[in-house]
Amino acid sequence: MTTQTLDISPVGRVEGDLDVRVEIEDGYVVNAWTQAELFRGFEVILRGKDPQAGLIVTPRICGICGASHLSCASWALDTAWGTEVPRNAILARNLGQIVESLQSIPRYFYGLYAIDLTNKKYQNSPFYEEATRRFAAFTGKSYEIGVTISGSPVQIYALLGGQWPHSSYMVPGGVMCAPTLTDVTRAWSILEYFRTNWIEPVWLGCSLERYEQIKTYDDFMAWIDESPNHANSDLGFYWRMGLDIGLDKYGAGVGKYMTWGYLPHEDKYQKPTIEGRNAATIMKSGVYDSFSDTHTLMEHTFARENTIHSWYDEGTENIHPFDRTTQPSPKNTKDFNNAYSWATAVSHIEYGRLETGPFARQMVAGGKHGESWQHYDGFILSMFKAMGGASIHLRQLGRMHELVKLYRQAEHCLREFRLNDPWYIKPQEKDGRGWGATEAARGALCHWVELEGGKIKNYQVVAPTTWNVGPRDSQGIRGPIEEALVGTPIYDPTDPVEVGHVARSFDSCLVCTVHAHDRKTGEELARFRTA
Amino acid sequence: MANVLWLQGGACSGNTMSFLNAQEPTVCDLISDFGINLLWHPSLGMELGSNLQQLLRDCILGNIPLDILVFEGTVVNAPNGTGEWNRFADRPMKEWLSDLSKAANFVVAVGDCATWGGIPATAPNPTQSQGLQFLKRQEGGFLGKDFRSKSGLPVINIPGCPAHPDWITQILVAIATGRIGDITLDELHRPQTFFKSFTQTGCTRNIHFAYKATAAEFGQRRGCLFYDLGCRGPMTHSSCNRILWNRVSSKTRAGMPCLGCTEPEFPFFDLKPGTVFKTQTLMGTPKELPPGIKAKDYALLTVAAKNAAPNWTEEDIFTV
Ligand code: SF4
Ligand code: SF4
Repeated sequence: MTTQTLDISPVGRVEGDLDVRVEIEDGYVVNAWTQAELFRGFEVILRGKDPQAGLIVTPRICGICGASHLSCASWALDTAWGTEVPRNAILARNLGQIVESLQSIPRYFYGLYAIDLTNKKYQNSPFYEEATRRFAAFTGKSYEIGVTISGSPVQIYALLGGQWPHSSYMVPGGVMCAPTLTDVTRAWSILEYFRTNWIEPVWLGCSLERYEQIKTYDDFMAWIDESPNHANSDLGFYWRMGLDIGLDKYGAGVGKYMTWGYLPHEDKYQKPTIEGRNAATIMKSGVYDSFSDTHTLMEHTFARENTIHSWYDEGTENIHPFDRTTQPSPKNTKDFNNAYSWATAVSHIEYGRLETGPFARQMVAGGKHGESWQHYDGFILSMFKAMGGASIHLRQLGRMHELVKLYRQAEHCLREFRLNDPWYIKPQEKDGRGWGATEAARGALCHWVELEGGKIKNYQVVAPTTWNVGPRDSQGIRGPIEEALVGTPIYDPTDPVEVGHVARSFDSCLVCTVHAHDRKTGEELARFRTA
Repeated sequence: MANVLWLQGGACSGNTMSFLNAQEPTVCDLISDFGINLLWHPSLGMELGSNLQQLLRDCILGNIPLDILVFEGTVVNAPNGTGEWNRFADRPMKEWLSDLSKAANFVVAVGDCATWGGIPATAPNPTQSQGLQFLKRQEGGFLGKDFRSKSGLPVINIPGCPAHPDWITQILVAIATGRIGDITLDELHRPQTFFKSFTQTGCTRNIHFAYKATAAEFGQRRGCLFYDLGCRGPMTHSSCNRILWNRVSSKTRAGMPCLGCTEPEFPFFDLKPGTVFKTQTLMGTPKELPPGIKAKDYALLTVAAKNAAPNWTEEDIFTV
């Protein structure tokens, strides 16, 4: 059998640098390698610096989820210093993170993802003309509204922190701001504007309240049929077109999902500790294993990194991030049998490789584990079961489903601020270890910090994309995106839009690169799975 | 019609995200109303793989006229000057950059990384990063001191971490509408229209600065952030407080000290222990004073201001 190798460089419209190599047989991807092609060395820079340097440096790891980095950096110092964080500050941090995600959702959907529905490959679909009218880059009706309005939620971030991106307003012990009544009322108005100009009329075609009644696969199908407004909203339209062009048929991935949980509760996490975090987040942490249909809690002690296929000289063992030393290899030649990426292979000591992201969060949200007062939502898990597993299409739905819930949490923060109470309690600096985690729009993010002699001894970050885009691990097991690429149909190897769909469905925070050259070796390769 | 190619080196995409927040014009307006033709952009462009490589080659060969090359992120030279730690479209980014900068009419560096090296170039600069025409305050950078694009201008530096969307879109509009002849650049190649005034210009805490009333801790609704919390507003050139961020606020208005991100020394003091969010003082006086003022005069001013300070400077002024 002939194997064709496609090296696509770059894939583009994924944030950061990633190269993907795929091997194709009979028009289907049978093997894949994802490569991160940029090293910036933030962990190296942070060594020996001021304990609070992470608050300035880490938001700059990623301009797209800087609020999430800031949130991790401040919670990490909070746990290391044993601070007390006033409830107002917890709410203000949560609100900052939420509005960053509300920004990210339409920006990602229209700007990075839906444009591909206008690819000529789909010109025979009955939905094609309408897709072009809505999603064409810059001029599409929905593209323009969606990309433009994505700037409005982060105006709320600016009210709290002065600007988005790259404010450092979250600090150990609280926040730098003390919003006033006008800040809160303006924030309400901005939220309202976002809802009444995009979420309801364009995205849902119904009120938030009507959408919130959807709890199962059947509810969703009934909602689509209920009204032409639903069927023709961007959500309804996207869903119907995706089924027509087969987006529900590939991109499954590893079938195991994780989240750190996020949005610490304003009354339950004022004396933050690493151990106390799981019981204190509103959105619960966890791992969902679809093979055994079980939910369990996630702990930072379960995380391992492996660099055997990465350009680091740090041995071959699985190690906990606290024990990493970040030694970049001077030579980073591409060698698909050995090292081929700056990303590392992250795994769970028991469950192995896990997918992270909004879809993963929803799979975990459907579990009955965790505390009775924590958020529960079985909708996406119900879709997963009814549709027989994951796909690009379901991953998208999971991402978009979170929108309404985040909107409600933002309202909660604005309602709960007590304007005359404190926003900051000055902490005592001390040495020690800290851990801060959250969920960026695109998945699980955490920082580990070790302070010694009043400075940073070690700073380690595991970003969502590290979980998803990581290379093979010590056992040669593919990373989640690599695995999701297997089984992807390739219609035209000179324009492998499907590879883009899969890579982009994870909303990876890399600037991805996928090179194209043909290699007709005739090499016989096992077919792992076709969708 | 102006063809724009936007590339990212050692970048976090923060400037792109900032650009996408633009209003008057929005990114879509820029394209539909100002004839900006975005040939490609890492987050927005359609082409992938070999199709993009072809497009880049066509720009270099002049088959596609390249009016404006926008670069975001540092030029990564590691390891050992090869640039292999930042490969893009199957080649070190720095090689693309050196070819494309020769073909472009205007070269615009967006954000601190592309202008001065920014955070990645902070000691020990593990990626051997440089800005396009500077490394910190030192002229030269990747393209060299004498580099001029085809229009005759050096690299137009739009610093900031990130750059404000207006700083980016307005330079693009100036080029697209034939107004770029009016541009005056300072010695660091920054357009003076944005970078002559100080961050402090327009700060709502200015009145506290004048009376030497400090916000000694975070989370306060009064006081200036200069005396204790390390605000660099008086020493930093930017229009943040004149044009505001996201159209609603600025760091100092919200209570966050200015980090001085439009200056080549950002992050200041290389983030050494004891320097983050803390004013560096010498016997109670700030070590760094607003440019032009003598320490002796400053001391006199302080005594006078403190004596004159009305009571309300100690009360919440940005009230509930
Ligand atoms: S807070 Fe900063 S910018 Fe504002 S007046 Fe004080 S020193 Fe100037
Ligand atoms: S206020 Fe200062 S740190 Fe903030 S963006 Fe402006 S110049 Fe940069």
